[in-house]
Amino acid sequence: MWKVLRDLLRHNRGFAIGVALLSFVLAIALLSFVSPYSPLDSYVVPPDLPPCWPYVLGTTSRGQDVFWTLTFAIRNTLLFGFLVALLSRLLSLTIGLVAGYAGGVVDRALMSLNDTFIVIPLFPILVLFYFVMRDRMSWVSLALVMACLGWAYDARLIRSVAMSLRTREFTETGIFSGMSMPRILVEEHLPYVLPIVFSTTMNNINWSIGLEVTLSVLGFTDINTPTIGVMIYWANQHTALVAGIWWWIAFPVLLVVITFIGLFLLAVSMNEFIDPRGRLGRGAP
Amino acid sequence: MGMHPGTPGQPGHSRNQRDELREPRPATAAIDAPVVDVTNLRAWYVTRQFGVQREVRAVDDVSLQVRRNEIYGLAGESSCGKSTLIKTIAGAVRPPLEVLGGSVLFDFHGEHLDLYRSPPAARAAIRWKHLSYVMQGSMSVLNPVRRVRHSFVDFAYRHIGGSIADFENTVRAHLERLQLRPGVLEAYPHELSGGMRQRVAIALATVCRPELIIADEPTTALDVIVQKGVLGMIREVQRELQSSLLFVTHDMAVHAYLCDRLGVMYAGRLIEEAPTADIFRAPLHPYTRHLIASLPRIGQAARMDALKGAPPNLAAPPAGCRFHPRCPLAMEVCSQQVPPLETLTPGHRVACFAVTPPATPASAPVSVSPTQVSTRAAPPGDSR
Repeated sequence: MWKVLRDLLRHNRGFAIGVALLSFVLAIALLSFVSPYSPLDSYVVPPDLPPCWPYVLGTTSRGQDVFWTLTFAIRNTLLFGFLVALLSRLLSLTIGLVAGYAGGVVDRALMSLNDTFIVIPLFPILVLFYFVMRDRMSWVSLALVMACLGWAYDARLIRSVAMSLRTREFTETGIFSGMSMPRILVEEHLPYVLPIVFSTTMNNINWSIGLEVTLSVLGFTDINTPTIGVMIYWANQHTALVAGIWWWIAFPVLLVVITFIGLFLLAVSMNEFIDPRGRLGRGAP
Repeated sequence: MGMHPGTPGQPGHSRNQRDELREPRPATAAIDAPVVDVTNLRAWYVTRQFGVQREVRAVDDVSLQVRRNEIYGLAGESSCGKSTLIKTIAGAVRPPLEVLGGSVLFDFHGEHLDLYRSPPAARAAIRWKHLSYVMQGSMSVLNPVRRVRHSFVDFAYRHIGGSIADFENTVRAHLERLQLRPGVLEAYPHELSGGMRQRVAIALATVCRPELIIADEPTTALDVIVQKGVLGMIREVQRELQSSLLFVTHDMAVHAYLCDRLGVMYAGRLIEEAPTADIFRAPLHPYTRHLIASLPRIGQAARMDALKGAPPNLAAPPAGCRFHPRCPLAMEVCSQQVPPLETLTPGHRVACFAVTPPATPASAPVSVSPTQVSTRAAPPGDSR
């Protein structure tokens, strides 16, 4: 495992850049733990200052330090992305593997559920969800809803692989040897689909962060928890661009773009690693 | 029926003498009882869709026995039901395959089991321990993303039990016995060559020292040199464990090399069964005769005749003898009645009205005696 990582870092520029960008973003998120200000307090610093020492990224019209607010925002945004990805991976793995392996009625039932989730329009559902929940809407409940909406494509992908795995001899041998279905799925099929899952995880994080930012910018989320989207929302509320407070919007956008690029590069280089031809050139792992 | 002691001329006879160092098997009255006794087995692929039932009669009314310490070969062309038959014997039956009749009786040293009248737990309990199955395409029995060691643990550990360390020692000892480096355990399957993977698959199937090994075309994907090595290893394992082997391939040369007795299948039925040497020397069924005559011989210059037609569609097999549309000796009765598998000489069974005329001739068939038959189609220089 470590050898694979080392080789990827050494020979795959995309992977190296992706790791560097994400480490940078992660470092900023970790800085939130040493922040001198609470993210919810306002007017703790002079408002509307351009980037200058000690306010390196300037201050907002609400009297908050952009840099330290950004550390909280990116931490929450990343956590949100990871939580959605983790929950939706669990769903898509379970449903994809079971549907592909069991086939028949189970497959048909699970896949009609799956297709329902594929065809329903996401954005209106999320907006509707906000109008139903209103003040009870929290960061965690949004993550739960997004996880419930974000597994369907990947479950189909995993199911297609599982259907092929079911007919392979090692599965037949497992059945013949008396392995139970959960054991076959976990011990024989899961290692096979795991690289694919890693790659789709990156895409899923990107997707969920993007959607969260969109919803927050429009004010359809809990606007009291600082995230990248919520920062942009407040900047818009204070007409930051008209007032010339560009740093209030520019830095959150820049940071989230860096996150996107980092995750994208990781997903792409992961794809290259999964491709056995690419792996062959590097020698067996 | 069919349970005579081996004659001295039989290829498998001398091998027993090499195992005198081993502890002798318990001398019970049932020492000559077959390991597996298949009676009138019928297994069809049945699909029901849109209210239409379709069935493919892949195994129809097959009876055979595999004795202790013998290698039984099952021959026949592709799609004649060989694989289905041994899947059914191994109990690896999954829809759409259904067992519609007959029985499979195992006798593992006094431990009797009627496969299709036993609870699934009892069926599962004999696997690996008493009965192992080297599947078709067994080169891919190993999970490509797991080390070989994991495949051993996943598939065989439950059947041995004990601690993992003990199990790994057993596996290592077994691999060494088969002259495989224990290092293969740490390899991924793609790092091994085809022949090596095949050997590992055989080692995996035999690690629990089963009494009956069922092998489905284990050497078909290999070139002849590697094939010979793998076949030698299979024989070695069989000798060493004193187990029985049910071996399936369409390759007659492999059968000649390996098997003690040979059963020939055509279109889902067993049509002839005899000691291997007898089948090659004096085949009786017209299909078997053409099969043997089709084998190229060294120095042969003449062009070989092909049998007309193709094997029947098993979804709609012809009535009577399934070979009769292609048979040069076909009589009227052949299209009306199914020829029973009759014992002609001890150990030699054949299902053909041309060889064993029907007991009550319905419409006075033209009787052809066996000697007449064999001189007509046996290859030159090979008549009895």
